Amino acid sequence: MKIGRKRKAKAEIPTSSMSDIAFLLIVFFMATTKFDVKEGIKIVLPQASAEGSEQTQSLALTEKEMTRLQITEDGQLAVNKDAPRVFTSEEIDVLIQQKKGINPQMIFKVITDREASYNEMIRVVDRLKAADIEKISLSTN
Amino acid sequence: MANIKQERNREAVIPTSSMSDIAFLLLLFFMVSTVFVQEKKFWVERERWPIAESIERIPRNHTTTIYVMRDETILIDDIPTRIESSEDVFVSSTLIRKKEEDPELVVCFRTDKDTKYGVMSDVMRQLQDAQTLVVTFETQKRAN
Repeated sequence: MKIGRKRKAKAEIPTSSMSDIAFLLIVFFMATTKFDVKEGIKIVLPQASAEGSEQTQSLALTEKEMTRLQITEDGQLAVNKDAPRVFTSEEIDVLIQQKKGINPQMIFKVITDREASYNEMIRVVDRLKAADIEKISLSTN
Repeated sequence: MANIKQERNREAVIPTSSMSDIAFLLLLFFMVSTVFVQEKKFWVERERWPIAESIERIPRNHTTTIYVMRDETILIDDIPTRIESSEDVFVSSTLIRKKEEDPELVVCFRTDKDTKYGVMSDVMRQLQDAQTLVVTFETQKRAN
């Protein structure tokens, strides 16, 4: 009886599906990758100066030069010496345009009450930024 | 008369042997550029940021983030702190050190929208003391 010798099978790693696996991994990373870019309202704070120092200058500004926007504890807005009331964002836009019409270089001083919410300050500053106002001052009382 | 041979139609073949190399290169790019953000114990979720329209994009380099929670806890460099008196100068001392390392430092605030403004005012005062004057209030973009 003739016994046939078994041929040795070649050891091979199948690579035909390699690109499929790689593309699947790419799709996973593309779906999960999120480029963390920060977005927000940019402000440049004034230099700190000690009270009474020689560098500190007191300026008396009129209503034609500066508008005071005072945010109260309950989120109402007082413009200059007017009584505080609730302003919608659209009303703030109209107000800014009026003041800008009087003086295009108008300074807006946003005075936020310490107990007022941060959100209210951002809402007012956002409307000022949207109207391309560059001279914005932030303070509290 | 010259015998004109008709050219055989060649089969159009797209070489695919280097496909896996390209795929792996792309894969490497995504693996290297991906950063998994780990949530911290103290965190202000994006939903808690204020909403604004006129926002600017700020490149990540040169930035440091200060988290201000609703309970007035301030988180800088993953260390929680509070400002209760003029002697609490942890924020300014940290920023002075950071400013020395990177003179173009920009401070980004991730503040809960319901935080009282008083604490923000105190933090900004310390920023001025540290001569770190460029700040960004991170906001969500208003959906149109």
